[in-house]
Amino acid sequence: MMGLGNFSTRRMAALLRKEMLETWRDRRALWMAVCFSLLFPVMIAGSTTFFVKKHAEETTRLALLGAERAPLLEQRLRSDTLKVDALEQGEPRALLAGDYDVVLQLGEDFAGDYRNFRTPQLYLYVDSSSTATGRAERHLQERLGKLQQLVVGQRLVARGVAPQLLAPWKLEVRDVSTPSGRGAMLLAMVPGLLILTLFVASLATSVDTSAGERERLSLETLLLQPMPAWQVIAAKTLAVASMGWLGSLLAIAAMVALMPAMPLAELGIQQATTTAGVITMGLLLLPLALLVAVVQILLALRSQSFKDAQTQLSILQLAPVTVLMALDMSRVELDHPLWQLVPLVGQQQWLKSLLVGDPVSLPLVLAGSAASLLLVAMAVALGARALRRESLLGAL
Amino acid sequence: MVRIRRLLWGLALCLGSALASPAIAQQAPAGERCYLDGWGDALRCYRVPVSQSVGQSGHFPDGLAVMVAPAVNDGGREPLYLLAGGPGQAASELAPLLNAFRKVNRERAIVMVDRRGAGRSGAFRCGFERDMPADLEQFSRQLADCYLQRADFAESLSSRQTVADLERVRRYLGHGRIALWGGSWGTRTALLYQQWHPQSLSALVLDAVAPIDSKVFLAASAAEEALRELERDCVADPECARLGDWKGDLNRLLQGWSEQQARTFPDPLTGAPAAEPVKRWVLANAVRAALYDPGAAAQLPYAVRQASRGNYLPLSGLTGLFINNADSMAMGLTFSVACAESLNRISAEEVARDSADTFLGTAFFDLFHSGCEAWPVSAKPYGAPEPRDHPVLLISGSADPITPPVYAERRLDYLPNRQHLIVAGGGHINSRRGCIPGLIARFLNTPAEPLDKTCVAGIERPPFMVDAYGPALGGKAGAEPAAEEVASD
Repeated sequence: MMGLGNFSTRRMAALLRKEMLETWRDRRALWMAVCFSLLFPVMIAGSTTFFVKKHAEETTRLALLGAERAPLLEQRLRSDTLKVDALEQGEPRALLAGDYDVVLQLGEDFAGDYRNFRTPQLYLYVDSSSTATGRAERHLQERLGKLQQLVVGQRLVARGVAPQLLAPWKLEVRDVSTPSGRGAMLLAMVPGLLILTLFVASLATSVDTSAGERERLSLETLLLQPMPAWQVIAAKTLAVASMGWLGSLLAIAAMVALMPAMPLAELGIQQATTTAGVITMGLLLLPLALLVAVVQILLALRSQSFKDAQTQLSILQLAPVTVLMALDMSRVELDHPLWQLVPLVGQQQWLKSLLVGDPVSLPLVLAGSAASLLLVAMAVALGARALRRESLLGAL
Repeated sequence: MVRIRRLLWGLALCLGSALASPAIAQQAPAGERCYLDGWGDALRCYRVPVSQSVGQSGHFPDGLAVMVAPAVNDGGREPLYLLAGGPGQAASELAPLLNAFRKVNRERAIVMVDRRGAGRSGAFRCGFERDMPADLEQFSRQLADCYLQRADFAESLSSRQTVADLERVRRYLGHGRIALWGGSWGTRTALLYQQWHPQSLSALVLDAVAPIDSKVFLAASAAEEALRELERDCVADPECARLGDWKGDLNRLLQGWSEQQARTFPDPLTGAPAAEPVKRWVLANAVRAALYDPGAAAQLPYAVRQASRGNYLPLSGLTGLFINNADSMAMGLTFSVACAESLNRISAEEVARDSADTFLGTAFFDLFHSGCEAWPVSAKPYGAPEPRDHPVLLISGSADPITPPVYAERRLDYLPNRQHLIVAGGGHINSRRGCIPGLIARFLNTPAEPLDKTCVAGIERPPFMVDAYGPALGGKAGAEPAAEEVASD
């Protein structure tokens, strides 16, 4: 029964055509796949643009109490990012509750103490429960630090000391990252999300083609046809995978299309994804799409009902992706080449490299993809055996 | 079946190409990863071979040192080449400028070429590593020895050669048209490149402009004018005005400078009397040097005032601000170019006219004049400049003691598409200050459009040092009652 004996290309083609038709005719599933595929690239691009813009345009409002005692201080603190309002009077707490991010108050005899080298106090009032405080303090320190440096420099010169005596050495920082590699942090989520897209995009279809057909009693009719059960599973897998794969391809295309619109250069990041890289990304997701599809179908067939299948698959889609992302965030290095043979892990690593324009090893990609395909074949065989059990059909 | 096989082949090729070309296809040679002080990101370094026809002492086994800061996102815009001053400064010394040119660097590669005899292209230092001898005769002797050892090499160095080398580098890197940023003497090189290779050039940014026919080594009048402007600004500042006639003090100080004062002048690093006596001409040049940077210039009035009362510490501390700059000039290159292309065109009459009634006198010129006598290279004239219609952005500091704004205003009529930014109270080189980096980036992107120059007025002189405590933060006695009133409220 299980053999390839009565395999017929014609019948297989007819079956595949039927499965494809059913898959692609389901508008709702199609829309869900398309929407989810576009969702995360748009979100990543949007949030990056928003944060960069916000960071660049953010200004701090500073209330300077007692500014009349040190007009130069007021003048030197002002900058594009620091708006200084000189106030004669004011209650720091009320000012902070109002429009101001920070309040700086000069001590009583600030100018006199300064002239006499008595280190007068400057009081900085902050509201550490406000989100703007950190940035505001940084903006103030930038300006205040510069002025302080200027005063110290002049005081040293006045005493005949070369200011470089305060710098016994100079630390030169040399950044070994590449401009494209800097994108890795920003794009770290993308491989996981691409893989998640595979799961989500094929979810509705896989449930419908298995548990759904079973509930509509059309699966029984299908199994009565004179052809091996593995063909049924294979045809369904191909149809479901086509949907998942399309979803992930769409997501890649959207991601790459949106990259030029993202302010990557402002962040010092080079956009390094090549056309060949994009095509490669699409191709190496194909074995994974097949694997995801067949696993989803098997699980759905095992489930008690359509609803049960949906629940089980929802959990399935989150589990591996969560694990992948957690591993990535906790910086667990799966850098032994053998890890690339593990489905999901391999694909994630290749996608990550290709996104930032790094090279991937061709033999490992081929071996890893072959490993995924081998699992697909095993799963199809497993499914075929399961289909022959009558209990499966009676799971209603 | 055939189709499937072809498909598989296609797949393999795609993968192959994705794997084989890790990054974007670079222009011709790949270069080596390298770093320069003052800029944290990695650069691409090249050695560009140059011809050896200039004579055996001009041997260049290693080729020209070229350093490229690649564009973050290469959108095919023209690269910007940085040309250093001196003559004798190396472009690789300009790496700190990359911080100011970050915006430019997002879309354009920035290229630094160390010209022959400078920096990493076989620096021709003549043994002047750090300290310049304070004795002019000894300086000339050392130069003369150096010249005799490498006379052919000294003769070979010229602006024409540097421009030809730049063009060679442009071709080597596979660049089409290029934009040039020149600073100080680098503007001269840039203007000559524009004359000789107009088709290779897209736009010019010239900071502290030394036009082709200008005589920048006649610097006494320019330095005097810069000092007068400092005096005017000081008088306008109520705190600085209290220092009184410090400029008169300076003239008296220099005129009466004695051997005794020269020997007891303190060293800003050790605090002990300087190892070499600080002679009158050295002191005058130190004051001139302070005018290059408005931050240092702001400390001149107080330092001079104190010196006139016998306290030389502030003036000594001021000279300490320039200690690290001394080693950046390759003196052999400086004299090869300066003597052949500039000093030989200066007559004694012009020197007398320029130095009359100035604090500097001939103290700066003498250094070069005596140097050139020990450095007998042949004259290398350029010919009158021809009109060029490239967009040109000129930047001047109104108180620049060596390339005053009048140079850019009066001597560049042959460039119809020029715009001029003048930084009020600005010294020598202003490209890093205030909104100037942003204006440069905008100019390079839309060179034909006139720039909105209003933000330049927002660049201020740093506060004057008015006493031992530094700048006056608050008003003195006069402003005090106001503070008391607030306190008693």
